[in-house]
Amino acid sequence: MKLQDIIDKLNLKPLTNMEERDVEGVFISDMLSDVMTSAKSGEIWLTVQTHTNIVSAANLVDVSAIIVTQGKTVPQNTIDLANRYLVIILSTPKTTFEIATEMIGIGVKNR
Amino acid sequence: MQEEKCAHTCEMVNVDYGFVITEKCYNCDKISTYFSLESRPPLEEYREGDHFWNVMESAQSFRFDLKCTKCGKVEKFDNLMGLMMCTGCDNTCEADNLRIILEPDRTWVYVAFGFLPTEEHTQLTEEKIAILENYFNQRRKSSSSRIKIISHESVKNIATCYGEVIKDLHMLSLTPPE
Repeated sequence: MKLQDIIDKLNLKPLTNMEERDVEGVFISDMLSDVMTSAKSGEIWLTVQTHTNIVSAANLVDVSAIIVTQGKTVPQNTIDLANRYLVIILSTPKTTFEIATEMIGIGVKNR
Repeated sequence: MQEEKCAHTCEMVNVDYGFVITEKCYNCDKISTYFSLESRPPLEEYREGDHFWNVMESAQSFRFDLKCTKCGKVEKFDNLMGLMMCTGCDNTCEADNLRIILEPDRTWVYVAFGFLPTEEHTQLTEEKIAILENYFNQRRKSSSSRIKIISHESVKNIATCYGEVIKDLHMLSLTPPE
């Protein structure tokens, strides 16, 4: 599924520059070590973390985008770093559970 | 398949979660790090010869090995403390200069750290770093970018480096909803 389709259907708010990407699943964790061990390239990462560290972890494993849930405010320095490294950050006021459920509803599946 | 002829395709195995503990000796100011598998990070100060170690910080982390799915060869990475993304803070630093060269081609520079003090711990060899780089690049599929992993020896001054270390520390997310 295309990232823009998911953004439109789930009403996600882009916080960074955008480019079209394929989404091949969902990964949920608030631990960077989990992302390093288990996230797959092309997956969307759902988290409540907003520290600049999320950019370095997302970039390492090449997730398609990060969705920051629960309306957490993402600091400007995290957004700036993400723009520099072409990491896409999206925001939603919904909980991680709600967004994950909605993703299943629109047909996002893990490989 | 014979190991020496195998174009390795690796997966992460033997993953252990724990803490990277950073200590400082108040006799000689030396910094030491080690990996702990204890369920709670150690806090106790202790003597070791002339050293008097005090805990400075503990960060949740993990250690792992890489196993080739074709030939079964296992490469151990228990002397890897962590990875840091170079964000470019010092144009007299070798790592930053490499970043400047590689970033236009969407190649991102990461620095691999061994445990401290470097002279007292076995550090990652160039061969191990190449295996690690190859592993993470094999995991990348969705975009046309790559990563380059280099040794911490390329960083001019770790103490003043603004690179983004990947560790579960200072990750509090206490911001209220917008």
